[in-house]
Amino acid sequence: MACLHDHSCEEHDCSSDWSLYKHIDLTKVSALNEATTGSVKSVFKAWEQRLNSSGDFLESNEGDPELLVFIPFTSDVKIKGISIVGGADGTSPSKMRAFINRDGIDFSDAQSMQAVQEWELVENIQGVLEYQTRYSKFQSVANITLHFPENFGGDTTQIHYIGFKGEATQLKRDVVATIVYELTPNPSDHKTKAEGGGGLSHVGK
Amino acid sequence: MVLEATMICIDNSEWMRNGDYSPSRFQALADAVNLICGAKTQSNPENTVGVLTMAGKGVRVLVTPTSDLGKILACMHGLEVGGEMNLAAGIQVAQLALKHRQNKKQQQRIIVFAGSPVKHEKKLLEMIGRKLKKNSVALDIVNFGEDDEGKTEKLEALLAAVNNNETSHIVNVPPGPNALSDVLISTPIFTGDGEGGSGFAAAAAAAAAGGVSGFDFGVDPNLDPELALALRVSMEEERARQEAAAKKAAEEASKQEKGGEQSSSQDATMTERAGVATSDADNKTTDLTQDDENALLQQALAMSMDDPATNNDVRDTDMSEAAAEDPELALALQLSVQDGTKDSAGQSDMSKLLADQSFVSSILASLPGVDPNDPSVKDLLASMQSQSEPQKKNDDKGPNEDEKQ
Repeated sequence: MACLHDHSCEEHDCSSDWSLYKHIDLTKVSALNEATTGSVKSVFKAWEQRLNSSGDFLESNEGDPELLVFIPFTSDVKIKGISIVGGADGTSPSKMRAFINRDGIDFSDAQSMQAVQEWELVENIQGVLEYQTRYSKFQSVANITLHFPENFGGDTTQIHYIGFKGEATQLKRDVVATIVYELTPNPSDHKTKAEGGGGLSHVGK
Repeated sequence: MVLEATMICIDNSEWMRNGDYSPSRFQALADAVNLICGAKTQSNPENTVGVLTMAGKGVRVLVTPTSDLGKILACMHGLEVGGEMNLAAGIQVAQLALKHRQNKKQQQRIIVFAGSPVKHEKKLLEMIGRKLKKNSVALDIVNFGEDDEGKTEKLEALLAAVNNNETSHIVNVPPGPNALSDVLISTPIFTGDGEGGSGFAAAAAAAAAGGVSGFDFGVDPNLDPELALALRVSMEEERARQEAAAKKAAEEASKQEKGGEQSSSQDATMTERAGVATSDADNKTTDLTQDDENALLQQALAMSMDDPATNNDVRDTDMSEAAAEDPELALALQLSVQDGTKDSAGQSDMSKLLADQSFVSSILASLPGVDPNDPSVKDLLASMQSQSEPQKKNDDKGPNEDEKQ
């Protein structure tokens, strides 16, 4: 499932492909089991900076390699591929599971639910590996939750970069913002054919 | 004001019958819970609070997280004490209740009141703590009541496992004269991680600290800034007026000796009255004190007549004589004057008061050095009564002046 670039990156500008990070709603990104609250925001950056982890990266708590990252987008996107840069010494995640358009997933939910897609990851320090998605399932993604259940044996799990490849649509997923429920029906809203004249169901004249 | 969903875990085991917290441990606990619920819902209207009991027949959720304070207070009624507390199960059920909160944007918090001994192993508590931390649930522990060996240690270990960036706290409350709620008010459990405290917590703290010592006028500027500002402004105004009145009284006394005219007062109608008083003062050579009192009374009445918002002149007169000696009394009077401004009653009430001669003469009698039977005082009373009929005022002024001349 991994796809290596068959050319060196100096000739071909890969960064434009990995530009979905611009459509991530960074204020609403959250992670569970992160050691430092808010450190998850630092993993979403441009392709060129994927190896440049100047101190800020996502790390899980001591002795617990599980990580859960919730990523909402500002508009619906189609995701073609995902790239993950982990840490050294076994702190890279070894498995990844993705859930689409689900709010408020926590660890017990993630462990019991069926993921939309799962990948076996390899240690990808250089960040040139891309994990393809089943594109048909990732057609209108408003938010994605990534669950990393295991790593390569390290005490913690470190993630330095998460990149998304694909395209952004300008649509927003339908969110029913306000629903007005009628307590009592308003007869003028419910004109039946009988009231319109004609028909046999006249009640009274 | 952090948006939070809170679950409060109550210990209603047999140990809570003890009376070392007055009136009983359980009552102190109930008061503390009520206070916390109020503080949480006030600091952010979208906050929700739920309650569950850990002892009795088993862990039971009394009310799921809701922002309806009435529901929470109602469920605290009729709670029975009995059984043994199951801390681990209580915390886990609380976590589950929070997981199913309606608004997923709320932060999750559990507040545990542990009054009886903890029978779980430290390891189990640490595991629970780690699970809470992993799911980013904060935990506040109130350790009170029984203190057997290891209880505090276990709870501290639980806190260490949960604590993520100082969002979780533990409070140890030993038995003593202070109520449980009072001790809790000053803790981070109430003040919410050092945000500076909600107005509720701050006001409650001020009240607990004994009266109005917390704020200038017994009103929290956070709660009601306009009222606090109005109180301060009118206090300063009144102080300025009193100084002016005292100055004028001194001037009048000296001018009376010289026999000069005085041009006091603030508006046209009052000028005439003051003129009456002045001519009155000019022509009196006996009893200096009485005239001073008269002048002071006139000034006070002038001040109160001038300000239609104040509907009780008694306080003004009292203030001019008493304020200098007793600042606390002045403050109390100031407060009551402010209360008067809130009333919509206007000039008419005061006129009625003035018209009530027996009332006014009783007030005058209480003033030292004023003899109600003195003819000048009687004239004054008569002129005050005539104030209530403005058409006759000028006529009365005429005969009064003639009389006094």
